[in-house]
Amino acid sequence: MSVKEELFKRLKEAVVNGDPEEVSKIAKKVVEVGIDPLEAVEKALVAGVLELGDKWVKGEVFIADVVAAADAMKVGLSILKNEIVKRGRSVKYLGRIVIGTVEGDIHDIGKSIVATLWEASGFEVIDLGVDVPPQKFVEAVKQYKPDVVGMSALLTTSMLKQRETIEAIKQAGLRDKVKIVIGGAPTTEEWAKEIGADGWAPDAFSAVQLIKRLFGIEG
Amino acid sequence: MARPRIEVLSRDEVEEIHLRSLNILNRVGVRIEHEEALNMLRDIGAEVDLNKKIVRIPEHIVREALKRTPPIVRLYHRDGKNYVELYGWSTYFVVGSAAYYYIDWRTGEIRRPMTRDLADVAKLADALPNTHIMSTALVPADIPEIVADRWRMYVVLKRCSKPIDTGAFTIEGVPDAAKLMKAVVGEENVSRKPFMIFAICSSPPLKWSSLTVQNLMDCAKYGIPVHIIPMPQTGGTAPATLAGAVLQANAEFLSGVVIAQFTKPGTPIVYSGSPTVFDQRFATSCTGYIEVGLMSAAFSHLAKFYGVPSASYTMVSDAKTFDQQATLEPAFGALISVLSGINMAIGSGMMLEENGISLLKLVIDDDIAGSALRFAKGIQIDVETLADWLIEEVGPGGLFLKYRHTREWWRKEHFIPKLLDKKTTDTWKKSGSKTLDTVAREFIEKVLKEHSVEPLPPDIEKSLDNAMLEILKKHKVEKVPEI
Repeated sequence: MSVKEELFKRLKEAVVNGDPEEVSKIAKKVVEVGIDPLEAVEKALVAGVLELGDKWVKGEVFIADVVAAADAMKVGLSILKNEIVKRGRSVKYLGRIVIGTVEGDIHDIGKSIVATLWEASGFEVIDLGVDVPPQKFVEAVKQYKPDVVGMSALLTTSMLKQRETIEAIKQAGLRDKVKIVIGGAPTTEEWAKEIGADGWAPDAFSAVQLIKRLFGIEG
Repeated sequence: MARPRIEVLSRDEVEEIHLRSLNILNRVGVRIEHEEALNMLRDIGAEVDLNKKIVRIPEHIVREALKRTPPIVRLYHRDGKNYVELYGWSTYFVVGSAAYYYIDWRTGEIRRPMTRDLADVAKLADALPNTHIMSTALVPADIPEIVADRWRMYVVLKRCSKPIDTGAFTIEGVPDAAKLMKAVVGEENVSRKPFMIFAICSSPPLKWSSLTVQNLMDCAKYGIPVHIIPMPQTGGTAPATLAGAVLQANAEFLSGVVIAQFTKPGTPIVYSGSPTVFDQRFATSCTGYIEVGLMSAAFSHLAKFYGVPSASYTMVSDAKTFDQQATLEPAFGALISVLSGINMAIGSGMMLEENGISLLKLVIDDDIAGSALRFAKGIQIDVETLADWLIEEVGPGGLFLKYRHTREWWRKEHFIPKLLDKKTTDTWKKSGSKTLDTVAREFIEKVLKEHSVEPLPPDIEKSLDNAMLEILKKHKVEKVPEI
């Protein structure tokens, strides 16, 4: 096994184990010995998280394991990104997604899990957090130019903000630039249709399938 | 007579959880997204970071708040005469509240509920002997969301005479509820004879939403009872360890007590909880895990330590359809509730991650509740029940059937379930080989047809109608469904 292969193998393992210290150590080593950082991201970091996301869907690991792996991946990414930029290149994702819990709702966990699972499916996810007003979604669409916007709502009252947010994106003339998907306990497929969303997922499993379907990727 | 009890924490452990909770409130604090509350807490000496909305609460404030909390909470029936008293080791069973889905008892279909479904739940709960507190069980889809919280109260009030566990999901929710209560029992009795109790849920970890705090402060101002519901998810929004989840929940409960008791001293508070297991395999929040029982029992110990009534969501099942799981999970929950002295065992009729109400489950939960309550009474030991004179009289090889003692005591000693089958196999076959769900369905049909709810006196009904009409007008809701 070459030095490169050996490092990639260890880096991927560290991601799978959710070990940020180890990831950080090996990522620095990758930079130090001058191995292609982009290849390290794709073959080790992303590969590790993809493997875990896949295992979760199959019921082989716990969601906490996926979250830990995604966090470890981000540690590695922040180290390797500088080097990638230096070489004038960029990390390729399957797509870019902006996600947030709508205004009036401070439920974090469902949204965060979906964000992590989407990351673990190979997407770049920008998390706007909770209690996100419609205007902030609009600004995020302008700033990040995502392929998809995801909105979570856990309350029957805050659910109405999903409609408002879609309206705000429409009014800003951005509706045809993004696909919009929604989720959360009180939401339904009918509700998604009614407010003109492009997709709906009732749970974390379906959120993964939904996003793959939207991007035409085999589930 | 030894009353059957379980203790999942020792006295020392309770004390330790209490002290560590004080430490968390003092060192970490809670995030409160409500300006008035933040200012109030700053004024009484808490350390408030207005930017981050973090409040660090010193120990003496928590102790003072606890001193102001009444030890007994009474929930009246809407007639202002009957009541349940939340105190000591008595357990009352409560219908699960605010479900967004209804599991149709005729077809099994999971669908959005209508107002008439809520009326059915209310009528059935009114008739069930071991279901003591009704709730605003469903969020009907045939009324605009903006008034749905108060519409539920109105519908239930009309169709059920029992106390109501409810909640508001709007800023006007509590003040308007006070108007509805006033219409029924008169202004002076809104706090003296409250027939509604409000669910107040913190947002773990250590966070309070602005709407919840507004509802809590409003209830305090009106003197309406609340149950403060920390809802730790093990391994999600709380530590994966049961001890850690209980500790964090306890700190959240105490912070709620502080907000309420410094809004108005003497606010009636129940120590409630909806602990769940966050299933790492499916990312679901589960209520039917046996560990939910352990955490609920721990909450009850802590409540008794603080001298306040207790509640927990112990009756909710994770089953998706009415099957064996839907009955075995609440059976554990009911038994744990009575054995650990939880005063309000909440969730009868509820399934689907606290999102659905099933009438089939509700009627069987009533039998489960009756069984658990009987168990909690234990074995009565005295001359009459020991009956050694009778054993002597009957003698070896005799039969007890013909004796007066048998006729008198058999009925007294046993809880006779309404639905569970005790017939001979042959009789069971001859009467149609019915499974429990069929028996339950027939029972529901019969009760809905035959039971009549004590109507409100005409003048009170009229003032209630007017109060609701005003609320609807305020929100420009003109068309309302029939009840």
